[in-house]
Amino acid sequence: MPRAEDYAILFDTSYCTGCRACQVGCKQWNDLPATETQNRGSYDSLELSAHTWLKMSFFEGLDKEGEVYWDFVRTSCMHCTEAACVEACPTGAMNYREGGVVTVDQDWCIGCRNCVQACPYDAVHYDEEKGVVQKCTLCYDRISNGLEPACVKACPTGALRFGRYGELRAAAEKRVQALKADGFTDANVYGLKEMGGTHVIYVLLRHPSTYDLPLNPKTQKEKVAVGWLSAGIAAATLGGLSWIIARREELSGGES
Amino acid sequence: MNGGEWGIYIVLYFWLAAMGGGAFLVSLLGKNSSTQRLGAWMAFLGVVVGALLLIVDLGQPLRFWHLLASFKPISVMWLGSAVLALDGLALFLLLLLKEWPRWLVWTAAILTLLVVGYTGVLLMATAKPFWAASPLMPWLFLASAYTTGAALLALFGEGRAHQIALWMGLIEGILLLLHLIWTYPAAARAVRALLTGELAWAFWGFVLFGLLVPLFLEARRQSPVLAAVLVLLGGLLLRYFIVYAGQIGYVI
Repeated sequence: MPRAEDYAILFDTSYCTGCRACQVGCKQWNDLPATETQNRGSYDSLELSAHTWLKMSFFEGLDKEGEVYWDFVRTSCMHCTEAACVEACPTGAMNYREGGVVTVDQDWCIGCRNCVQACPYDAVHYDEEKGVVQKCTLCYDRISNGLEPACVKACPTGALRFGRYGELRAAAEKRVQALKADGFTDANVYGLKEMGGTHVIYVLLRHPSTYDLPLNPKTQKEKVAVGWLSAGIAAATLGGLSWIIARREELSGGES
Repeated sequence: MNGGEWGIYIVLYFWLAAMGGGAFLVSLLGKNSSTQRLGAWMAFLGVVVGALLLIVDLGQPLRFWHLLASFKPISVMWLGSAVLALDGLALFLLLLLKEWPRWLVWTAAILTLLVVGYTGVLLMATAKPFWAASPLMPWLFLASAYTTGAALLALFGEGRAHQIALWMGLIEGILLLLHLIWTYPAAARAVRALLTGELAWAFWGFVLFGLLVPLFLEARRQSPVLAAVLVLLGGLLLRYFIVYAGQIGYVI
């Protein structure tokens, strides 16, 4: 669980207008080059990459009453408390910093991309020119100097808020109660239990699966434990079988 | 292209390390010391060439020593690099010694088993559903290590290894089928790419020429050389389509 005094970002779908100022603010502050976009029949025109650490995803459909909805959801690093990228990293370059922020040490990263494969939010990407991985830093350079992250600073509607985890979590839960009272019965807070609790939490109008968010993503510890257990049973079974086949072959005199 | 996916170097590494390691493990099943020495050579070469491929694949190859300067057993990548280094050392010692001490043979065997097995755990510990939605990746990689290892030994005149290649090939085919069924609900795009999409050539190439034809030849004890060569190439195709299918939807 994140600590109450940890840094946090609260993203509230119900306030977001999909203006993408956060996306631009992120690029500008972090000196990231423009990315060629692609018209795929929606406003959702690019993917996260080494040069795009934050993007707004656009979701449209019909709700239960047959009304059209068009929702905008932040896609970026969630700064997990039990981050898959940190645990998958073989060198410790990807690590937790003060206040629960997850960043990669670019001078220590070897570019193995294990974190890219491990992240359930697709938030870590490989920079081919630099030979290391890149991701959202929660604007660590800004927040450690008393400023808000660039995305939060750029948000004109209050859909993004920066602060201490304890306060923002309470605010998120209060907001969900208000939304439920307003008729959004599926409103929920996302990120409270995922990956040990994330430092970026979402207020969602609909079920997380509506927004392609992973449901109950497994932590690296669980995955690795199951993996080694399975490998152990496999080694015993297949090793034993090969031994039996070899013995049978020996008894029958073999044939070469 | 997004770049950064695990590509052909990783495929070749998975294939070579498993093939060499498998040959050593199969050679230990018999009592012939010259076959065992041959197996140790194959495993050693697989580990050394494999490690070089892994280093070349890094974004910062000169920083590979950062792996050795860290201690992070929870990271399968770290543990894999550690067992790879230790196995290389153990096999090197075996190759130097005329008489093999029992404990060293056991150490090398266990390390080799870890080398061929950790790669499956590595893939399982990702967020890619085709690799992670079933627990069968280590099973498949181990079965393929035995199959290709036995075929490699058979190619060098170790006729008895054919039986291992035959049975393990059969098991490998069943495991692959199970894996596809198991992961289909979570990784439909990857499975469809294998059956009818962009990776179908590799998948069906493996099923036909890497599995069915050699199984048929081995069962009838015909053309052992051809059968062994097909099994080895099949092992390469298997690694290829598994590595790429797992990352479908990632590269845009």
